[in-house]
Amino acid sequence: MLYSVKEGFAGLFRARLSTMVTISIITLSLLVNGVFLIFTINSKKVVDSIQDRIELEVFIDNSYDVVKTDQLRERIFSIQGIKNIKYISKDQAAEIFRQQFDQDIFEILNENPLPSSFQISLLREYRTSTYAESIIEKLKALDGVDDVVFRQDILVTFEKYMNIAYIVIMSVGGLLLLGSIFLVSNTIKLTILARLELINIMKLVGATKSLIRRPFVVEGLFQGIIGSSLAILILYGILKIVNIEVNNLIIINDEIYLILMVLGVFLGLSGSFLAIQRFIKY
Amino acid sequence: MVHLHNISYHYSSGAGLSSVSLAANPGEFVYLIGPSGAGKSTVLKLIYMDIFPERGHVIVDKFNSMKMKKRYIPLLRRKLGIIFQDFKLLYDRSVYDNVAFVLQVTGAKKKELKKRVLRVLAEVGLSHKRNQNPIHLSGGEQQRVAIARALVNEPIILLADEPTGNLDPVATEEIMRLLEKINVKGTAVLMATHDYQLVGGPRKRVLRIENGRLL
Repeated sequence: MLYSVKEGFAGLFRARLSTMVTISIITLSLLVNGVFLIFTINSKKVVDSIQDRIELEVFIDNSYDVVKTDQLRERIFSIQGIKNIKYISKDQAAEIFRQQFDQDIFEILNENPLPSSFQISLLREYRTSTYAESIIEKLKALDGVDDVVFRQDILVTFEKYMNIAYIVIMSVGGLLLLGSIFLVSNTIKLTILARLELINIMKLVGATKSLIRRPFVVEGLFQGIIGSSLAILILYGILKIVNIEVNNLIIINDEIYLILMVLGVFLGLSGSFLAIQRFIKY
Repeated sequence: MVHLHNISYHYSSGAGLSSVSLAANPGEFVYLIGPSGAGKSTVLKLIYMDIFPERGHVIVDKFNSMKMKKRYIPLLRRKLGIIFQDFKLLYDRSVYDNVAFVLQVTGAKKKELKKRVLRVLAEVGLSHKRNQNPIHLSGGEQQRVAIARALVNEPIILLADEPTGNLDPVATEEIMRLLEKINVKGTAVLMATHDYQLVGGPRKRVLRIENGRLL
């Protein structure tokens, strides 16, 4: 094993040009993958904020007093999937009306017909049309609930587009990754072709396939680590500059750097493993 | 030890071997002579199982080409020493590393490795040049590095494919003396050459091959 590590490390310097090309290709692939990942994560944040706004409005029977309303709140809370309940009193409803229509409801009707209500948000995993429908059924069955309002059509449309977007993102991501593996593997093949003599001599002196393969895979691992470190540095720099220019335009978690490192290691390992296969056959 | 039984092998060009049988016994020195393209290298390739016969079978030690699984080829080659006309050395490392490399890929322990490499380099008279890159050595010296590399695993037989083909007469004589010395110490040698002048001497057997047939 020590031999493989030594040889793998020495290999980086023996074929400097092809090593640099391989590292550049890994860096470039990871930058493309990284930008795509950041785009996906940021799109997801937009989607989550839209989903956060999906709320049910439960109108309470006008005859219900404070005690009964509190009891109703408890009963609603016991339904599975409820995240939060916000009480809107009749006065608050009138205030919302005034804000929306710029007119006081008392001026139009001389009374406030708006019922008090609960604005209910659902737990993230229950924010689908199917779950929402079943929760609405349960809410409607409760005493004291006059009506439940929910813009289900928006959710259904949203879900449809989300499914399409998910398929597109997964396909593009998958293709990007496959393309990167292919590209890195072919670049590493150039490194290997430059050292075909070494492989042939190894075969002549009785090295097993795994022994021949190992130094090249270790070299691929080093190239992956260097390539991903460079990609991380470049991406970090770019994001810093963009976020200074346009205040916090892009939000990312530090995990993305870890993902890029893992991806780089994976690219280096799989690329070299695939590239060497053809040359180690006896 | 090495037996070829009724071997036939043909390349797509048509050249190859037809019904060749031969044997090399422990401690023997066997010359395989013949003109270029006669099939000498093919015989050697069959022995180190780079190619497999269409008919007949090859036996090397406990390995039989008919039952041979490809994953055992490395184990067979560890029992052989092979040298070529073009030396096949690695010019990105020193003489020592070229020889040590064989033991490294076969997983020898570091201490044992050092001892064996230095011993074999002394045997071929290159101890003093162990740290040099082989590119700076003469042809004869490079072939001696190749011989050291072939011997370091203590092979049962040394296969030499035109080992003097690239050398001047002085270096040729040196290499021939070295091969003889190795043989006297007990390692069998099978040397393919087209140079009839090299052939001869006591306790040596000569096999002639022409147009893929043993004469």
